[in-house]
Amino acid sequence: MVSVIDDSEAVRESLPDLLRHSGFDADAFSSAEAFLESEAVSKTSCLILDVGLPGMSGPDLHQELLSRGQGIPTIFITAQGDPSLRPRLVARGAVACLFKPFSDTALLDALEAAVEKE
Amino acid sequence: MRNARRDPDPAIGERGLKLIIDTIPALAWSARPDGSAEFFNQHYLDFVGFSAEQARDWGWTAALHPDDAGGLAESWRRIMASGAPGEGEVRLRRYDGEYRWFLYRANPLRDDQGAIVKWYGVNTDIEDRKRAEQELRRSEAFLAQGQRLTHTGSLWWDVSTGEVIWSEGNYRIMDLPTTITPTVDLVMQRVHPEDLPIVRAMLERSTREGATFDLEHRLLMPGGSVKHVRVVLHNVSQSAGQPEFVGAVQDVTAARTAEEALNRAGSELARVARMTTLNALTASIAHEINQPLSGIITNAGTCLRMLDAAVPDIQGARETARRTIRDGNRASEVIARLRALYTKRAFTLESLDLNEAIREVIALSQTDLQRNHIVLQSELAPDLPAVTGDRIQLQQVTLNLLRNASEAMADVQDRQRLMRIRTEREVGDRVRVTVRDAGSGLPLESVGSMFDAFYTTKSGGMGIGLFVCRSIVERHHGRLWAEPNDGPGATFSFSIPRRPADASDAASVLMTA
Repeated sequence: MVSVIDDSEAVRESLPDLLRHSGFDADAFSSAEAFLESEAVSKTSCLILDVGLPGMSGPDLHQELLSRGQGIPTIFITAQGDPSLRPRLVARGAVACLFKPFSDTALLDALEAAVEKE
Repeated sequence: MRNARRDPDPAIGERGLKLIIDTIPALAWSARPDGSAEFFNQHYLDFVGFSAEQARDWGWTAALHPDDAGGLAESWRRIMASGAPGEGEVRLRRYDGEYRWFLYRANPLRDDQGAIVKWYGVNTDIEDRKRAEQELRRSEAFLAQGQRLTHTGSLWWDVSTGEVIWSEGNYRIMDLPTTITPTVDLVMQRVHPEDLPIVRAMLERSTREGATFDLEHRLLMPGGSVKHVRVVLHNVSQSAGQPEFVGAVQDVTAARTAEEALNRAGSELARVARMTTLNALTASIAHEINQPLSGIITNAGTCLRMLDAAVPDIQGARETARRTIRDGNRASEVIARLRALYTKRAFTLESLDLNEAIREVIALSQTDLQRNHIVLQSELAPDLPAVTGDRIQLQQVTLNLLRNASEAMADVQDRQRLMRIRTEREVGDRVRVTVRDAGSGLPLESVGSMFDAFYTTKSGGMGIGLFVCRSIVERHHGRLWAEPNDGPGATFSFSIPRRPADASDAASVLMTA
């Protein structure tokens, strides 16, 4: 099961669609808090996580899960243009960091890598 | 050789001669060859308040100022020894105790053998002249000190003879020794090459017409350093066509460099502020647009996959296409919102005295105008009615027109860089503001396009551009236009309606514009 966390409605609608068509179970949340409060945490095998979230940020959620011993393979996505973001997040254990707008192929490739890690 | 003693002129007689000697407006005396006094005229005796007996021989020395007595003794001995006419200055005590300066002159009388038999002398009161000399010296010291303190110098120039005289202060400013004779050529050698054309042009005009010369320009000193000087020359000649200038030069380098540093810092600050805002703005734009774009691309990608599947998912594809269109519209809204954010300033309406607003703009532009040697004439109508508008925005329009006019005259050398700002009533209850320059005029090819959005003749200008000016004026229900002058340059004008009697109506009308 792939969980998508992004505050942009466009992303929350389009990504799960692509994921389901590609054979994954998918669920979407608008904030890190909403995700943590749900039951999806234990069921999620891969996280597609927006960097800039209201409240707890994407990287903070990633860190929080790790410290809880509940680390999930994470693909970060972001609309920010900061190129130094990618190496930093990968260094902290992210599978990938994609800059919006990314192609569907790029996303699916990253998913494959995440699944392999598992 | 004269006779030892003159026979009295029979026409005058002995008594007549005595009358003459006692009446001439001078202190007259005679002395023996050994220097002792023999005779004093009545004026002398009356002045010192002595009788003839008291003054005779060496008695007269009692009237000498104690500080001068020694010096006089020395001088008198020297004159007698030389046997030639001599003179000097000495203070004599008047009958009332007051000392006054006198110029004494002594002439020897020789006999037929050439021996001196008598000395004759005349003392003239020069007290007033002496006082005047002291005043002059003191006044000169004041002036010199004043000029030193204020970094000024004064000069005098007779154009017809070419003679130039400088005060010490001027030599200091020009960095030349006071032994050098100043000339106009010498000055021109010091004038900064870039300012030479305009200095020459204005000087030529002044010498031709006798007009006042008032200019701030730069000097290029031998070491390569630059000084800013303000030069004012007034024609004090009585005869037309032959001007004689009296003037002052002030070294304003310190003030000018401080100002320029301040301006640079201000510009730099504004530029950095703009860049910071621009960076933030760009990041914001990118962020806002990337969201719907991301949706569009993901949806389109999904759409293709669905159509390419072994069993095409038409329904799914249709849904993705729908979402694509929706996200596309969202992106469009983002752009519209950003554009509104960028161009719209808070449009605050108030009742406005345009003359006052324009005076502020002129005050702000003073340093720029002076630096570019612009002569500004302002003709602000005293009875100008009030208008309703956004003060800051109308000031920005005016400032922009002023800057454009100034730039249009940047290359003018052979005439005054004259700029005229005028406010006046216009037919139809409107108010008109015109800015007239004497520059290069309107370029033919751009007359139609100069108000377009991206028209520019300069790089990196700080102005808001004619396009924005026009939209501001139009938002005030006015119009902005340009026309060439009768003569050099162009005139830019804008007119807006005056504030109507009922202000609230006007406000609501303007708000909906």
